Amino acid sequence: MQLKILQEIIKKKINKSEFAIITNLENSNSEIFELGKPIGKNFEKYKDQINEFYKNKKNGVIENTNIFVETYIRPIKVIIVGAVHIAQYLIDYAKSLNFEIIVIDPRGYFATEQRFPDMKIMNKWPDEAFKEIETNSNTALIALTHDPKIDDPALQHALKKKFYYIGALGSKKTHANRCQRLTEAGFSNNEINSIHGPIGIKLGGKSAPEIALSIIAQLVSETYKR
Amino acid sequence: MKNSFDEKILEEANDWVKGNQKVVLATVIQTWGSSPRPTGSRMIVNENGDFSGSVSGGCVESAVVRECIGIIKDNKPFKKIEFKVSNESAWEVGLACGGEIAVYLERVN
Repeated sequence: MQLKILQEIIKKKINKSEFAIITNLENSNSEIFELGKPIGKNFEKYKDQINEFYKNKKNGVIENTNIFVETYIRPIKVIIVGAVHIAQYLIDYAKSLNFEIIVIDPRGYFATEQRFPDMKIMNKWPDEAFKEIETNSNTALIALTHDPKIDDPALQHALKKKFYYIGALGSKKTHANRCQRLTEAGFSNNEINSIHGPIGIKLGGKSAPEIALSIIAQLVSETYKR
Repeated sequence: MKNSFDEKILEEANDWVKGNQKVVLATVIQTWGSSPRPTGSRMIVNENGDFSGSVSGGCVESAVVRECIGIIKDNKPFKKIEFKVSNESAWEVGLACGGEIAVYLERVN
């Protein structure tokens, strides 16, 4: 692979673009394929097959050819509400899994740079923050404040936008109260039951890194169920 | 599918090249049966045999490293290699899991 192409791929990944790498295995020439952009002369006759691979997010060699296609999809956006202790560990785990993390916390004393180095925290209320973040059914929400003032608006937004994963920290009792409030706000039982609360898979641990691990494990599992 | 759980091997390859190392990129391009790692899995190897990433569960990595060093020594641009269960004559190693994989080796330059 030409270094130039490799560096272009890295740049595209940083910019969170969706693309495919196409390689001619007969000469190791690669190029980047993007939907709607013209395809290089050397690959033009495989255009339809490449498009097919791209559409299905498939990797592999096109049948009866020497063309290898590798597709990249955008990292999944995970919004964490609450710049709390557990969030610090979640960010660590999420980094190696390549999730795109956004942390929202209106409380300035939580959302400090000292607590979250290399990470920009949105020091805003969820309603304001969500005006600036594009969200859809490929987005996940992890609500960690268990403060209704902060978590509830975020949960409501996530339910309306049909996030594929919504998890909320809190005991069974906290969660029951939360469900009651969401019912009063007009959400259906089906919608409310889609919230993972208490959040995370049962590992038995109580420490912040253990809870973060149980949350991230659930998030990964739900990501593959989509 | 390279999804959100991408292993960032290309990023590492770029760092190695920047550090003046000779780098070969190994990519799983085809699999048959119960291969340990999916198509698109990657590994990089330098001229000293240092490697990062994986193309199997540890079954064929040593052979891949040897091949990659060979590519650098012979100044070859690329090579395709296949690993099968009973490919004993060509390789001392094989896939214990019974799968088959094709790995494409290419210089990064």
